[in-house]
Amino acid sequence: MANDLTFWKNRVHVETSREDLETNRADLETSRRDFLTRMGFVLAASALAGCSRGAVQKAIPFLIKPEETMPGVATWYASTCGACSAGCGLLVKTRDGRPIKIEGNTESPLSGGGTCASGQATVLSLYDAERLKGPTWLGVPVTWQDVDARIEERLRAAMAGRHNLVLLSGTIVSPSTRALIAEWKARVPTFRHVVYDAVSFSALRRATGACFAIDGLPHYRFDRATTIVGIEADFLGTWLSPVEFTRQYARRRRPDAAGVMSRHYQFEAGVSLTGTNADHRVPIAASQQGAVALAILRRVAIEAGVETGAAEVDGAIDEGAVASAAEDLWRHRGASLVVSGSQDTATQIVVHAINALLGNIGTTVDIESPSLQKQGDDRSLAQLVDEMQRGDIHGLMLYGVNPAYDFPDAARFARGMESVALTISFADRLDETASLAHAVCPDHHFLEAWNDAEAVTASFSLAQPAIAPLLDTRAAQDSLLKWLGKEPDFYAYVREFWRTHIHPTDARGRTFDELWDHALHDGVYYRDVPAAKTPPFRPSRAFTAAWQSAAHEVAGQGRSSAAPAADRYELHLYETVAIRDGRHANNPWLQELPDPVTKITWGNYLVLAPSLARRLGVESGDVVRMGVPDAQIELPAYVQPGQSPGTVSIALGYGRQHAGKVAYGVGANAFPLVTSFDGERQYHRGGVVLQKAGRSEPLATTQAHHSMEGRPIVRTTTLSALLSEETEARPEAASLWADREGGPHRWGLAIDLNSCTGCSACVTACQAENNVPVVGRDEVLRGREMHWIRIDAYTGGSEDHPETLVQPMMCQHCQNAPCETVCPVAATTHSSDGLNQQVYNRCIGTRYCENNCPYKVRRFNWFRYAQNEAFDFNMNNPVGRMVLNPDVTVRSRGVMEKCSMCIQRVQDGKLLAKQEGRPVADGDIKTACQQVCPADSIVFGDLNDPESRVARMRAGQRHYLVLDEIGTKPNVGYLMKIKNRSEA
Amino acid sequence: MSENAFAPEFLVAMFDDQRRLVGAVNAVRARGLRVHDVYAPYPVHRLDEAMGIRRSRLPLATLAGGVLGLVSALAFELYVSVYDWPLNVGGKPDNSMLAFIPVAFELTILSAGLATVAALLLRCRLFPTIRPRVVGRSVTDDQFALVLRWRHTAFDPQVERLLYEHGARDVSRKAIER
Amino acid sequence: MTPSALAPVSPQKPRPAPRPVQPWIAADVSARRITDEVMHPLISRPGAAWLASFALAVLALAVGVASVAYEVATGVGVWGLNKTVGWAFDITNFVFWIGIGHAGTLISAILLLLRQQWRTSISRSAEAMTIFAVLCAAVFPLIHMGRPWLAFWVIPYPNSRGPLWVNFRSPLLWDVFAINTYLTISLVFWYLGMIPDFATLRDRTAAGSRRLVYSLLSFGWNGSARTWSRYETATTILAGLATPLVISVHTIVSMDFATSVLPGWHSTVFPPYFVAGAVFSGFGMVLTLLIITRTVMHLEHYISIRHLEVMAKVMLLTGSIVGLAYALEFFNAWYGGNVYERYAFVNRASGPYAWCFWIMVLCNVLAPQLLWIRRVRRSVAALFLLSIMVNIGMWFERFVIIVTSLHRSYLPSSWTMYRPTIIEVGTLVGSFGLFFTCFLAFIRVLPMIAMWEVKAVTGHASETTHE
Repeated sequence: MANDLTFWKNRVHVETSREDLETNRADLETSRRDFLTRMGFVLAASALAGCSRGAVQKAIPFLIKPEETMPGVATWYASTCGACSAGCGLLVKTRDGRPIKIEGNTESPLSGGGTCASGQATVLSLYDAERLKGPTWLGVPVTWQDVDARIEERLRAAMAGRHNLVLLSGTIVSPSTRALIAEWKARVPTFRHVVYDAVSFSALRRATGACFAIDGLPHYRFDRATTIVGIEADFLGTWLSPVEFTRQYARRRRPDAAGVMSRHYQFEAGVSLTGTNADHRVPIAASQQGAVALAILRRVAIEAGVETGAAEVDGAIDEGAVASAAEDLWRHRGASLVVSGSQDTATQIVVHAINALLGNIGTTVDIESPSLQKQGDDRSLAQLVDEMQRGDIHGLMLYGVNPAYDFPDAARFARGMESVALTISFADRLDETASLAHAVCPDHHFLEAWNDAEAVTASFSLAQPAIAPLLDTRAAQDSLLKWLGKEPDFYAYVREFWRTHIHPTDARGRTFDELWDHALHDGVYYRDVPAAKTPPFRPSRAFTAAWQSAAHEVAGQGRSSAAPAADRYELHLYETVAIRDGRHANNPWLQELPDPVTKITWGNYLVLAPSLARRLGVESGDVVRMGVPDAQIELPAYVQPGQSPGTVSIALGYGRQHAGKVAYGVGANAFPLVTSFDGERQYHRGGVVLQKAGRSEPLATTQAHHSMEGRPIVRTTTLSALLSEETEARPEAASLWADREGGPHRWGLAIDLNSCTGCSACVTACQAENNVPVVGRDEVLRGREMHWIRIDAYTGGSEDHPETLVQPMMCQHCQNAPCETVCPVAATTHSSDGLNQQVYNRCIGTRYCENNCPYKVRRFNWFRYAQNEAFDFNMNNPVGRMVLNPDVTVRSRGVMEKCSMCIQRVQDGKLLAKQEGRPVADGDIKTACQQVCPADSIVFGDLNDPESRVARMRAGQRHYLVLDEIGTKPNVGYLMKIKNRSEA
Repeated sequence: MSENAFAPEFLVAMFDDQRRLVGAVNAVRARGLRVHDVYAPYPVHRLDEAMGIRRSRLPLATLAGGVLGLVSALAFELYVSVYDWPLNVGGKPDNSMLAFIPVAFELTILSAGLATVAALLLRCRLFPTIRPRVVGRSVTDDQFALVLRWRHTAFDPQVERLLYEHGARDVSRKAIER
Repeated sequence: MTPSALAPVSPQKPRPAPRPVQPWIAADVSARRITDEVMHPLISRPGAAWLASFALAVLALAVGVASVAYEVATGVGVWGLNKTVGWAFDITNFVFWIGIGHAGTLISAILLLLRQQWRTSISRSAEAMTIFAVLCAAVFPLIHMGRPWLAFWVIPYPNSRGPLWVNFRSPLLWDVFAINTYLTISLVFWYLGMIPDFATLRDRTAAGSRRLVYSLLSFGWNGSARTWSRYETATTILAGLATPLVISVHTIVSMDFATSVLPGWHSTVFPPYFVAGAVFSGFGMVLTLLIITRTVMHLEHYISIRHLEVMAKVMLLTGSIVGLAYALEFFNAWYGGNVYERYAFVNRASGPYAWCFWIMVLCNVLAPQLLWIRRVRRSVAALFLLSIMVNIGMWFERFVIIVTSLHRSYLPSSWTMYRPTIIEVGTLVGSFGLFFTCFLAFIRVLPMIAMWEVKAVTGHASETTHE
């Protein structure tokens, strides 16, 4: 499918026009060395072919080379991420036809070049060995004709008998797909589409509908907010559109010309990634979200001179924090923002009211072009499940959902499925739900398929195949088209949809082909916003009435939930940054990604506050049995300072049984603990009983010690201090010997600790770029994870209101590197470009460099991690190895490795500049960690060039070097974190 | 000990006691005779002076070896680190002389020691395949042998008596077995 | 040491002023009897005690061989090391054995220069111990490598990989040269010392294969006074060379740590501290071995209580130096005021590995102080116990220095714990197996007492009459 299409490259690639490359190649004479190399390869290859027992595979070179592929040169395709419903713009890097790396698309107005950890890891999911090889019927592999025949026959029967057909899908952000579904509705009167999000936002959705009469969620603009209040909303980690929000948020964390930066209050039960970044983090019981919102509303209303008419809730809330938050909100009204993750409609209405009273509607809360994410509607799902029980559903199509795993009463749903005559799943594997379905028609991976997306109204993006389907799969849309009796060509369908629906609204007066070509090239397309500013939002009488009753309701809840029994606790369920709702569970990169807050890998755990831990006599690692009337779960405890004393937290998305061997048996499934209130699924509940199970289970953490021991490692300063003091030149550390003269460049990094949120996307990006192996839980327990970059998290202050500081730590590429001096065989030396190089071939593995590295960033290959049954992850199967980056060696057993500052990218950039006969320009070269960073916190560049961005950051007032006093002279520098706490 | 009837070249006096031996040696030399050699199970004090053995020149071999080791080691280290393969190792200068000292020192000791032993073995003709010229098996155990050349003493009948006077247990003409 | 140590002596003077021969060897022993008694183990059948201990040693060796084979086949990962603690048992054992070796050279070389005659009857076995200990030590740098089969890359040999040499700035490379030099010189010195005894054996053995072997080994030695004269010069020179060598070896070993940037390693006191520690542990091991041998082989009148007592005095001295070094380290950490250094030592004495630290202090500093008491110095049982304690204490010293410094260094985010695996324990057991296998074999196939030296000392040769 992919081959018969012409592809567009992104700008970067277009710059190196194909002719240049050809001519350059022609100029190059094959040197004796090259000749020998190739001859050697040929000999070795033939020898191997000769002695290999397996089937001899003939490698046939291109006779007629496809014009868009150049061996050894990456080809880039613009696409759209399918990891969640945020639909971030992507550029997919393919080598020799294989997607090997995902990068953010800088053209995207939303994600703007950033991606998240799970987005980065989706390229590995493409090569997941657990994916179905083709369609199955009753679990037996069959041909597409066969399965189509059976399905169509039954569908015809259903339509004839006017039986209910239901498409149960996750949120669909693809307008074309939505159009296709609409077509089904039109054709089949008994057809219904139910949207189901495992982690639901339906309360916010309903509240938004009630207040602003729009079908969607507000599009929040953190980049316009000077004061941000988050109530149990992890908007930097998992809430709605983390990449976009991180990007916006980070922009306001850097003091602008006027020395203004945003101040962030976070009210939450568990310590979230967002909470660790807040200037003021206030632990609250999970049940107090409404009370907090109401308390803020009352204060804001008083300022605004509006009557709330709601009584105060006498919950144990930190009045001071609420007061100063409300004060800041009011001071920056119009440029402030309150968001809440509550699943209580009334609370969400109250939050909307606060924003309305503050005049944030239209500025930080955009309802003109609402977000189309999270369309799940809990009520219609509940209704569907009931109907299934009654046997009223004849046909059920499951698309991008896995309710048999993540529906609270999964057993009930499974029973319901039995009474459905025809169940079809589009799942890519036999997961919990698909294994119960009659037919499984595996969908493409999103990197294999055509698609489009409209996560936020009027900003579109396209997805194009970056590789021909690896397996005998078929796009779900093609299946739907087929069964509708149409030509199963979704590409044509998308094109047609854009021609008919999007082109007419294009303001630039281009032909459709021009528009399409541009959109496909850029990957994104957004209408120019109409210049005419819409009139400012005026709260209608209905709206006022609505929020006032909501306020009453919230007050009522507050009173009822107040004063729980002494030995009853509250439970709070959350998503982790990596695994999210469990859909990525079989991805080893994500399983081994340390949680940004706890640094724990491979599994979930029960988070509780130190005070509670003491009361229960529990320590981290002790297994705790957590009971609620209808369910029970046993998990190891993790003691987390800052956790709300009365609330324990558990991560969703673990305990997958049918996701694959990576995910199997990792953690426990917390979805059964999800309750329902007022028709909305609730992710917190009360009446939880805790008791020690009497055994313990070690937690595979990559950082055991979280105190900084009073050492100046992560340095902080306050905004006022920063503005008052002027830059003073720091004395250069004295050296015992003269500095060596370097080469033309001196590569370095500058990392802004102020904008870095610790989201850990860089860790996965580095793993993907540099073929970093996955070692598994046991080895992590032995302290042997291989990540080249890690995010150190230090916690200080009181155990109730701790301060968390994060610091990305990778090889510091010291000018005077302690590791280099001690290597007996000179396997690690310094390049003329100022890089600390590790020569794998020369390394004999004495590990002295590891011992002598003050930053402990070196990683040793304790075993052979590739093609080793003991480490049965992606590097142990031929499909999984397709993700490996051919530009980076797979390290052998017994050698040391570490961050190379993406030397392959550096060389690539230098080569490109050379071909174009120009010096390397600042910004030409981006390391993987820099490219992925949604907060733009990591900057790579040439320290020899005083005008380079990195050099200017290094000259800045906030810049410092970690462990400067040892005299290692690192080329990696850090910018101090700024605390913007209110003096109140 | 096979008796050679035709050319008994040596006059061998056996002693039980190192003091008597030394006395005998002094007496014989006072008489102006050259002592061919003395065989003993262990180094006998004051015997060297008595026999007039000059001080050994082995230390020269040691010195030569040491100098050779030192110079070649330093030269090689400099050649490798400065001339042939200059690398930026930890930002240190190519010529990190201080760091080159330990290896140079070890090689100095090594070659000095080996040179000494080699010189000793060569000078004393010590080698696994060499068949020993032993005057009698007991001299490597508990006996001492004073050996004179027969032709030096042939015309001096006093010698044997002299030897007996100085405590020789037994004096006899014999060829030393090869 | 003993007052005579203070007497100025130049190694170049081959013939010293005669001192009154102290009766170091009990009773009056004729040269013939010395030969007989030293030869006895070589020609007699091994006793039950010897057989039992040899079997045990070989078993231990087998355990070690198995552990190493598994480790080399699978990966260093079978040990308990991690991203923060890159060395533990491996280098601990290495330094431990190297230290043991030093007593041998000290006894045979330094005491020779100091004209300490009591050394004669124990020098041979002490030198043998040195060589076996260095062998054991040399195993660990090899097997601790990630790719042991490439170990030869540490040797700067001309190669076809373009200019590709070694890094002469690395202490590990210094080690390579130090250990090899030390092993070579020790072997030569040891063998040279045995040549006259081989000659004695040759002449005491009836013609046959055994005699052939001895005559080959004896290099055609015939006891000529001229040879003796040069021989003594040569041994004195070698002793003179071995003395700075033995000091340099452990100095360089200490530099493996001292030249690093790690708090707890980066310290200028290390060289003297390590050398003293080495002699200390070495004498501990010599005592252990000799007390066993003298009882098993019935050599009480060669290795008399006086020998043991003098060695006990050396242990007391070096032990006290080591204790002083410990104290100095803590003082510097406190006085230096460097937060990282300070923490390293607070953690050493009160951290999770504090128990190792206190075992070390008990065995190395406190227990040896008992040697001030004469009755303890002269009690074989007490000395044996103390020598064992010193061995244990000195092993823990190295473990404490290596592991406590590594597991909590600069960045707390990387702090970890280290736990040894059974495989690592296996390698330690194996090294003891190797050591004792070699030593037990040695005392049965080679003259374990330098006959000619003892004869020279006893000087009774003339008293006895020959029948």
